[in-house]
Amino acid sequence: MIGRGRAGTPTRRQFLAGCAGLASAAALGGCSAGSGATPPNTLNVWGGVPPGSGPAALIDAFTAAHPGTEVAYTRFVNDDRGNLKLDTALQGGVDIDVYFTYQTKALALRAESGMTLDITDRLADEPELAPFLDRDNPTAYWDGDRVRALATAAEPWFVLFNEAARERAGIPLPTRWTVQEFEEITREIRADGMFGTYEVPDSARIALGPDYWYTPDGGSNFSDPHFLEWLELGQRMIRDRVAYPWTEVLARNLDAYQHTAFVSGEFATWVNAPYSLRYLYNEKDYPHDFRVAAAPLPTAADGTGWNQGQFNNFIMINPQSPRQDLAWEFVRFWVTEGSKHMAVGGKIPTLGNVPQEEMLTSLLGPDPDRWFDVGSFRRVLFEERPHLYVDSDLTALPEITLAVEQQQDLCWIGERSPADSIASIDAQAAAAIDRYRKAA
Amino acid sequence: MTVTAPTGIPTGAPASRTGRATPPAASVAQPRAWVGWLFIAPNLVGVALFTLVPLVSVVLLSFTEWNLVSGFGGIEFVGLENFVNVFRDPGFWNSVVLTLVYAGVSVPLTTILGLALGLALNRDIPGRAALRAIFFVPYIVSVVAIGMTWLMLMNPSSGLVNQVLGALGLQDAPAWFASSYWALPALIVIAVWGGVGYAALIYLSALQDAPTQLYEAADLDGAGVWTKFRVITWPSLVPTTVFLLVTLFIGASQGFGLIALITAGGPGDATTTLPYYMYQTGFQFYRFGYASAIGMVTFLGVLALTLLTWRAQRGRALHD
Repeated sequence: MIGRGRAGTPTRRQFLAGCAGLASAAALGGCSAGSGATPPNTLNVWGGVPPGSGPAALIDAFTAAHPGTEVAYTRFVNDDRGNLKLDTALQGGVDIDVYFTYQTKALALRAESGMTLDITDRLADEPELAPFLDRDNPTAYWDGDRVRALATAAEPWFVLFNEAARERAGIPLPTRWTVQEFEEITREIRADGMFGTYEVPDSARIALGPDYWYTPDGGSNFSDPHFLEWLELGQRMIRDRVAYPWTEVLARNLDAYQHTAFVSGEFATWVNAPYSLRYLYNEKDYPHDFRVAAAPLPTAADGTGWNQGQFNNFIMINPQSPRQDLAWEFVRFWVTEGSKHMAVGGKIPTLGNVPQEEMLTSLLGPDPDRWFDVGSFRRVLFEERPHLYVDSDLTALPEITLAVEQQQDLCWIGERSPADSIASIDAQAAAAIDRYRKAA
Repeated sequence: MTVTAPTGIPTGAPASRTGRATPPAASVAQPRAWVGWLFIAPNLVGVALFTLVPLVSVVLLSFTEWNLVSGFGGIEFVGLENFVNVFRDPGFWNSVVLTLVYAGVSVPLTTILGLALGLALNRDIPGRAALRAIFFVPYIVSVVAIGMTWLMLMNPSSGLVNQVLGALGLQDAPAWFASSYWALPALIVIAVWGGVGYAALIYLSALQDAPTQLYEAADLDGAGVWTKFRVITWPSLVPTTVFLLVTLFIGASQGFGLIALITAGGPGDATTTLPYYMYQTGFQFYRFGYASAIGMVTFLGVLALTLLTWRAQRGRALHD
């Protein structure tokens, strides 16, 4: 029982208890409070790239070129949880001026929900940014006839070859090949304890290009035979032990750690993108004793084809930003003068405004000839100009992505036929698109 | 709010025999109530912010369409539409079935094995204290450690489980988490493994409260082990069993960590139980109104099953 002092006067213990209670309540209440107003000359930028991989140097260059301005860079991890953090910050009124979007499904949500500033008119006033207004070869995200985001990086995919395995099999490095030839070559290159490839290329994307999940009128496009061929190709190559067993991929959660299996020689070819190259010159963490060469992505049977990579790393301005002019200047700087700083982290600028050799050095590390066939990368990444794009129809994209992933898993572990899997994806995609249209 | 007079004298009681007037109740109670409120303020604020507000929010959101990114201005009232859609949604019914299978198998198994283990550990065997601690360890180990360990143990090609099965002559051992047929049973095995020690501990404490005079009387009457278990032990354990069934069922119907860590609801949707389906709907598709409606329906379902279990045990306990 708590004692009392004189009538109505709390004891010292009561007083301390009261103070502690009030302080705790105040502290909890303060959790929801913001960190205070940002000065008008300070930009708040949220991105997924670690500051040391380019953004810090870019920001230093920006502030040096714009005396009196400051930039506060907040890094979020580009996974579901990190994107949720950014979205709650955006809708909760956290002071964010400029932010990045890397996942197409997140782009869909943010663009459709009015979280991106219309920058079409600002773009039109900048002649050096004219390529972003090209609708035939889009490098920006278009919402109808308005630009909402600029892709800051090109992410072409390619096929990496374990050179030791290729030379042992006596196979010439492909410089132009079809998906069918990819299947034949990966069959030839496999050896004891080494599969021919990790995963088959997205042959439907290669054949159909942007917005390949949607028909021209916005419906589900999964009845297109290319999707069935893709699942059949994967199932056949896994069953024949040419491609890596999908049961192992699932059982080891290998999708995020493919690089560890490649450097340990578990498969000879790897369909991948530039961001994976950093593992291949990191001898300390990923020791290996073979060099790597690049072949272009295989094409469709007629020799034509899109790359399955895209223009990506979208930079966007928050329409709630009170510093929109400064934010736009930052966006402009990022895609022009600033892009050389991001190249150090392996980001190939959309505008191609970093010299080729400088870009190659950035991508292939400090001792490129030791780990890579540099000429093959120069040819695949720059000389042959991979056919990239930006998707514009993003209807029900998160739901369709999940349906594709689920059915791909069931098909490639051999529990479901490709035809049944495609029929299921088609039905789920149609239902999701229908629901979105009704809600719109 | 009712405030009890601190001296234990009922409010409005007559003056004491010493002749000193008892102060009016309110004047004594008010300052103490004030202090009391201050003491519980931190917890009260915490409960209000992190339990009550989300709880009320879920109820309100379940009648809306909201994708989070559009901000609070984007919340649109849709009445009962979400609830109607929930009952028409094949994904929801799939997750209901999976949740019932998961809970319906893992909870009775955990309870039965926990009872057996509790009975065994209640006997005077060497190393009893150490054994109790060992069996309880899985209950307190981090879900991440459990998930990663079982992921390795149940690897289809290199895992210890399939190597043992292979050594025993089983040629086509299950692919466990890489099979839509075996992923849920594998999760059930882990859930049972993790829960048996807890159930045994609860049973142990109940067994130690068992009425010894009844066992002595039964011994005098020449009752056998089975008869003593059937007429004395089991009836005295009924309330404990019901407690375990209810709490384990609620836990199983909320199970998320292992699934998120090991299977992410797959392969296909083979392990997309209700909590994971809610997560997908809310945090992957950003359909927060619809996810809230699923949460409400789940809550009502679990509540109904809990009440049914509770009613079913009435009159069966030894002391009723």
